[in-house]
Amino acid sequence: MKARLHVLAAALLLVVSGCSAGSSASVSAGPDTLSVGFTAEPANFDFTRTDGAAIPQALLYNVYEGLVKLDSQGRVVPLLAKSWTISPDRKTYDFRLRQGVKFSNGAPFTAEDVKFSLLRVKTDWTISIKSTMDVVDHVDVVAPDHARVVLSKPSNGWLFSLTSRLGAMFSPTGVADLANKPIGTGPYVVAARKRGDSVVLKANPAYWGREPAYKTVVLKYIKDPTALNNALYSNGIDVISAITAPDSIPQFQADDRFQVVQGTSNSEVTLAMNNARAPLNDVRVRQALMYAIDRKALLDTAWAGRGTLIGSMVPPTDPWYEDLANVYPFEPAKAKALLTEAHATNLNLRLRIPNLPYAVSAAQVVQSQLADVGVRTTIEPLDFPAVWLKQVFTDHDYDLSIIQHVEARDITTFGKPKYYWGYDSKRVQQLLAEADSGTPEQQVADMKQVARQLNTDAAADWLFLFPNVIVAKAKVGGFVQNQVSESFDLTGLAPR
Amino acid sequence: MRNLVLGGVLVGLVVLAAVLSFFWTPFDPVKVDAAHRLLGFGGSNLFGTDKFGRDLLSQLMVGARTTLYVGVVAVGIAAVIGTLLGILAGMSPRWLGEFVMRVNDLVLAFPALLLAIMFGAVFGADTLTAMVAIGIATIPSFARIARSGTLQVMSTEFVLAARAGGRSRLTIAARHVLPNISGLLIVQASVSFAIAVLAEAALSFLGFGTRPPTPSWGRMLQESQELLTVQPRLALVPGIAIAVAVLGFNLLGDGLRDRLDPRLAAKV
Amino acid sequence: MTARVLRRVAIFVVSVLVASIVVFLFMAVLPGDPAQVALGVNATPELLAKTRAEFGIDRPLVTQYFDWIGGVLHGDFGRSYVTRDTIGPQLLDRLGVTLWLVGAGMLVALVIAIPAGTFAAVKHRKASGAGVSGLSQIGVAIPAFLAGIILVQVFAVQLRWLPSGGWTPPNQDFGEFFRGLILPALSLGLVQGAVLTRYVRSAVLDTLGQDYLRTARSKGLRPGQALVRHGLRNASVPVVTVLGLQLATLLIGAVVVERVFVLPGLGSMLLDAVSSRDLLTVQGIVLVLVVGVLLVNFVVDVLYTVLDPRLRGS
Repeated sequence: MKARLHVLAAALLLVVSGCSAGSSASVSAGPDTLSVGFTAEPANFDFTRTDGAAIPQALLYNVYEGLVKLDSQGRVVPLLAKSWTISPDRKTYDFRLRQGVKFSNGAPFTAEDVKFSLLRVKTDWTISIKSTMDVVDHVDVVAPDHARVVLSKPSNGWLFSLTSRLGAMFSPTGVADLANKPIGTGPYVVAARKRGDSVVLKANPAYWGREPAYKTVVLKYIKDPTALNNALYSNGIDVISAITAPDSIPQFQADDRFQVVQGTSNSEVTLAMNNARAPLNDVRVRQALMYAIDRKALLDTAWAGRGTLIGSMVPPTDPWYEDLANVYPFEPAKAKALLTEAHATNLNLRLRIPNLPYAVSAAQVVQSQLADVGVRTTIEPLDFPAVWLKQVFTDHDYDLSIIQHVEARDITTFGKPKYYWGYDSKRVQQLLAEADSGTPEQQVADMKQVARQLNTDAAADWLFLFPNVIVAKAKVGGFVQNQVSESFDLTGLAPR
Repeated sequence: MRNLVLGGVLVGLVVLAAVLSFFWTPFDPVKVDAAHRLLGFGGSNLFGTDKFGRDLLSQLMVGARTTLYVGVVAVGIAAVIGTLLGILAGMSPRWLGEFVMRVNDLVLAFPALLLAIMFGAVFGADTLTAMVAIGIATIPSFARIARSGTLQVMSTEFVLAARAGGRSRLTIAARHVLPNISGLLIVQASVSFAIAVLAEAALSFLGFGTRPPTPSWGRMLQESQELLTVQPRLALVPGIAIAVAVLGFNLLGDGLRDRLDPRLAAKV
Repeated sequence: MTARVLRRVAIFVVSVLVASIVVFLFMAVLPGDPAQVALGVNATPELLAKTRAEFGIDRPLVTQYFDWIGGVLHGDFGRSYVTRDTIGPQLLDRLGVTLWLVGAGMLVALVIAIPAGTFAAVKHRKASGAGVSGLSQIGVAIPAFLAGIILVQVFAVQLRWLPSGGWTPPNQDFGEFFRGLILPALSLGLVQGAVLTRYVRSAVLDTLGQDYLRTARSKGLRPGQALVRHGLRNASVPVVTVLGLQLATLLIGAVVVERVFVLPGLGSMLLDAVSSRDLLTVQGIVLVLVVGVLLVNFVVDVLYTVLDPRLRGS
């Protein structure tokens, strides 16, 4: 009988072996192959209609390119545009385009594509940040290598937004199946995808620019932070794009096989407070929470001390950064006094968070610290993205939440009263509008005021700035220390 | 006998820890303390502290409550509903009995973890949600045992006599069937308890179990993962606790089975 | 016997049908709007309505159900709301991974359980037999994912003998595939093996006490011979039943092990689909899993009929 059972099991295995033939990802490991581990997998390749950081992280600058890009210092530099001029009224932008650029489907890149791509944002995109493009009035094709964009009003944010996915250049011949077949002008093309596992990028043979050092890049998607670390230890991957198990960093630092690159990101881990709803519509209550939370202790416990205390929605890589970390020092007594003054001594708040490691960690610290000043909280982890987006972000059904705001210069969200902050300040809205349309100097001055005003109003508690920690095998070089764009830029990586 | 004693001792330990935690724990189990994070064995904290500086022993004690809560809810649901269904199926006409068992088989096709993930998606992930799901998924095993036990009891002479004497079905069920099959059910409860404890751990690992900061052994294990290489203690402590509880309930079940009529036990 | 098998077939078909309705209704009550998830947060109401129509989720439930189940019968599970891709091929691909895992896990379990269980039964009065039983008790008490985490730590992170996770299809590189399957199969199989050992032990113990075995021994056969010639076949009946039940448990246990080892199987697909409210995909996966369990039960029942001499006659 034993024999028979084994035959049965063997037969089962044989039947099954036929089933997994559908995958086509073939990776030949070699010196020009690089394997990079990420935590969040793109649901599809269409960042025009699917929100979230995973798609631009994989595709922007690597598969798709825009007219301009952000360099490692956060400056706007040329990419598909060789140069550009801005009219004195700062409403007309003339872009001179690089010649000889081709899309990966063979179509040439011209000013027609610039017009097509920029106008397409208004008509076909659905994701939240598309509104930044509303300011575009019209686009003229002056010559095949000369595109002119006319804005309805001056906007400093507009050119900057071209460095994000919003500026990605598409060909009218290449948008039929964006979800599955991305076609851009970048140094890589998508060669294969195995859902739940990996995306394989191969060097684009017809690329206009410098050929990337790694001909094949495998983007490995490993949700679990520990499994991601283990993959690096056991040679499954060469690079961890952003480490999410911070307590494990010292192990890598102590190990000669690896290097650790540490810098800042754009990602503010924010304790959102529902400004529109009692009891947090009272500024004293919000301020009390600011005094009650020991951000240093929070960073030390929840994120092993990695990260930066910034006290505002502005990362140090932005021109208007100021250190506001000590505006609300840790003073529980003051918090209690403020709560008493606001007659809010018996609070029970719902802390509705996405079920992601950093949020679950930070929430437990926030809960413990708020308990010390007599504020009770109930932690409710919600499925991310679906449930959190629906209930907290869209329906504003929350008192407190903790989430990373990863987009660049997202301080402007405080200018939208319908955003889930529930923050409605005429002064901030006016300052933001002035900053966008004013001169660059005025922009810096205005933005500083916005950050200070938000701080005074305790519009949210910026717990800490997420660190950008890349761990890689010692042999890989060319990493950028600070993560300022939406892209995990593969173009600079090379063996060293 | 040996099984019974050892099982009793291990389960007793878990119960003792849970009961004691209501009155006393060495430290506040959920109090975050940045100055005392990741302390090792011994020292001021017997089992050390986790990355939040929370005392591991205190968490373990309060976690025992979660473990027992989990088992009681899941097994309670399964035992009550499953036993009723099983007795019903065993005492009613053949076709109805068959039907109940077919429905039972259908429920069996939704494994506990799958049901728990689905429930978690609908009602929000939580200990109670998970346990109700596991309870429902465990109903069939109780129903099966109750039915076959009932069928046996129903064919015994004293029941035949009672029926001949005109006793109502309800009386027979309460007086004869239930007392006679209760031993089997207790054995099943003990085994199901062990399974529920394991299921809670697995669900917490997947993020569908106990919500933070309520201490739970499953979540302690999950949180310990990233520190496994440097602080294996963090995984060891809850891991051993889970194993002790599961082992205890399994041994208890085995021991009880041995003490019962082995003939009846073997048939089920 | 034929009548019995036919009856089982009928029960199987009806169960599958009912299960499909249950699964469908379950998804219908799930909170979260797939159109909203697909479009992101700034979608206009008009676009949302359009997308709902596109997905077909604005129609009556009954229409939706028959549409879905009709497609499924032709192997068409619909198009995912999130990935915008057909679900069927994806499901098959992922199922392949999970079945490999479950199959290999089962093999490991059997390789452990049959010798260990038989040994523990034959030597049940000796310390060695009790030792094996005790070990199996402890094995049962260890969660499969903990076993997995420990195996990864030792064999992948410290010793670096085997990959810590990931999947290589067998037709691409069989060596890599095999190496990658070892640890997941072990973590699934060790614990199941312990569970199975206990059943094998009690089944063999039962058989050992039977009259025909005593007769065989009185004819001069040694216990081992008697057991192999007459006993194992009879002991296999309850074991096959348990095996069937265990196969169902393994299928679900695979969900957790897939997470530990980052395997792109049905389990990880299910968890991803649940968190992005990809309802149609969840529906498809749950249906496949549930039908899989029903199928296993069905096969076990039929096997039972074939194996058990008492039932064969009738």
